[in-house]
Amino acid sequence: MDIRSRVLACMQCGKCTGSCPEAGITPFNIRMLMRKRQFKNIIDESLPWYCTSCGACTIRCPRDVKPSEVIIEMRSALVEDGEIPPALQKALENTFVQKNPWGRSRAKRGAWFEKPDIGVPHVSETSSKRLLFTCCIQAYDPRCMVIPQNISKILKMCGIEFGVLGEEEACCGNEIRRIGEVGLFEELQEENKATFEEYGIKEIIALSPHCMNALKKEYGDLGIKIYHYTELIAPIMRDGTILPKTNYNKKIIYHDPCFLGKQNGIFDEPRDILNSIDGLELLEFSRSRENSMCCEGGGGRMFFEVETSYRRNAEVRVSEAKEIGAEIIATSCPFCVMTLEEPAIEKGLEVKEISEILMEVL
Amino acid sequence: MNLLVFTKRVPATQEEELRIIDDGNKIDLSKVPFKVNDWDNYSVEEAVRIVEKIGGTVTAVSIGDSESDEVLRRAIAMGAKDGFLIETENILHDPNARSTLIYNFLKKEGLPFDAIFTGVQSEDDQFAAVGGILAAKLRIPFVSMVIGIDNIENGYAIVRRELEGGLQERIKISLPCVMSIQTGINEPRYVSIMGIRKASKVERKVLKASDYQENVENMIELTRWVYPLKKEGATLLSPDLENACKELLNILKEKGVYQ
Repeated sequence: MDIRSRVLACMQCGKCTGSCPEAGITPFNIRMLMRKRQFKNIIDESLPWYCTSCGACTIRCPRDVKPSEVIIEMRSALVEDGEIPPALQKALENTFVQKNPWGRSRAKRGAWFEKPDIGVPHVSETSSKRLLFTCCIQAYDPRCMVIPQNISKILKMCGIEFGVLGEEEACCGNEIRRIGEVGLFEELQEENKATFEEYGIKEIIALSPHCMNALKKEYGDLGIKIYHYTELIAPIMRDGTILPKTNYNKKIIYHDPCFLGKQNGIFDEPRDILNSIDGLELLEFSRSRENSMCCEGGGGRMFFEVETSYRRNAEVRVSEAKEIGAEIIATSCPFCVMTLEEPAIEKGLEVKEISEILMEVL
Repeated sequence: MNLLVFTKRVPATQEEELRIIDDGNKIDLSKVPFKVNDWDNYSVEEAVRIVEKIGGTVTAVSIGDSESDEVLRRAIAMGAKDGFLIETENILHDPNARSTLIYNFLKKEGLPFDAIFTGVQSEDDQFAAVGGILAAKLRIPFVSMVIGIDNIENGYAIVRRELEGGLQERIKISLPCVMSIQTGINEPRYVSIMGIRKASKVERKVLKASDYQENVENMIELTRWVYPLKKEGATLLSPDLENACKELLNILKEKGVYQ
């Protein structure tokens, strides 16, 4: 069904607004936007940019309207008119030039594995043709660069062969598509697909749920097995191939990233990894798994600030973690790490990506 | 209002560690991505805004190799009517040579214009001279560092120039003229990839720079590329965070910043 027919199918039940992380705290009202779209009413241009692309509305919609996809369509129209927030414009232009939204040098995309203790081969030199897809933020951001470094060390401990593409890897385009830049997404997709084909890639280990989502669901049938790294590590830890050497006597609460959990159904693997560590007490948020509260890092929100000031979901999340008694918030997405960390530090909590906890115990 | 805008494709060097190769004769640009010169992006946007408001046409012109077609397509996607590529494999560093080539092109092709917009400078060569030399050759007025065009019609323009110390100078300049446009004059619109693809369907004329070579001479010569001299004076703190903090505190105390 095309988008127009889907929008007309909306019966205004409000399940979308009921689950939207922006409803009630910002001027963004997804149900009202669908109504205005049905009647072709004018929509304030600032509104579509509030969406975090968490996908809750699309998952809960009983009429398959796919409101989050309608938002992408609205954004695309604004992109075509050049009417987008300047910070997002910069992210898109950076991605066009340097193939990453931060505009960092493409030649330095492999800087994270140039440390002597990492030593990762190019995927062409592997017999498995198993690719570790780094993701832009983890390739460049000093806070997140540790994640691919950790996973590389862990995979080596497990005896799993893998390689990387370094500067030949381009942004997956997950956020670019959600910002509404369809043409740029297609270019990134074509470039990455051609590189995968050139090196005969057979498997892709995605480190970011956002990359996994794009590669798995939005690149078409690549004939490549694509999974998140927790899907690879969890069974290995379950069968005892690698065992934690030390206890981890901490109370940890796990935050489900939207693109890993509600959008791709990966809830148990991260928890299985954490539960395999002795001493670790795993706590749960009141809103977890399918109902996990979005940290507001997706859909391009990582690159710009909306106009309204309000209490951010990350802050709400951290407050709840504190009330429940957690010492550490664990997650498995670099965007969640970045959004949760600042309010967590303010409240005396730590945020750790699962690989950081693993590196402390393995 | 017919506006000619010059737009250049330049290496995006801000994030790169540039290497001098061939014994000082060349910069290794093999892995450096290219983009539109920032100042030219503002120039195109300004020109397009003017014709959107008062009517007329914008024509984009670029000098460079065939890849420079990319910045023409971009200008067309922003709203330019058409584009000309003056194709050359030679890199023209000398602003006099560049201006003479443009002068010959304008004379030979007889393009009508009320104003020519250039960026204040290009990110790669940074001479900030092409606009001025071109105006002198054409014997028309020139205004540099334009940060606002308040009015442009009826044979003259009222523009504001950016000066030091937070001042602006408002001047009246007769048309036709050459203006060098400063960044910040506007907020250039986003140009989508779809927009650039659509612009590919608009004809861009490709002309050979070799047809406009009369008096195109270098008045300055690039002798070699060099790195800036390394100066002393920087203090590197310990890589260890705790020691770095202690050292920094001591420095701040020494300098009287922190008691």
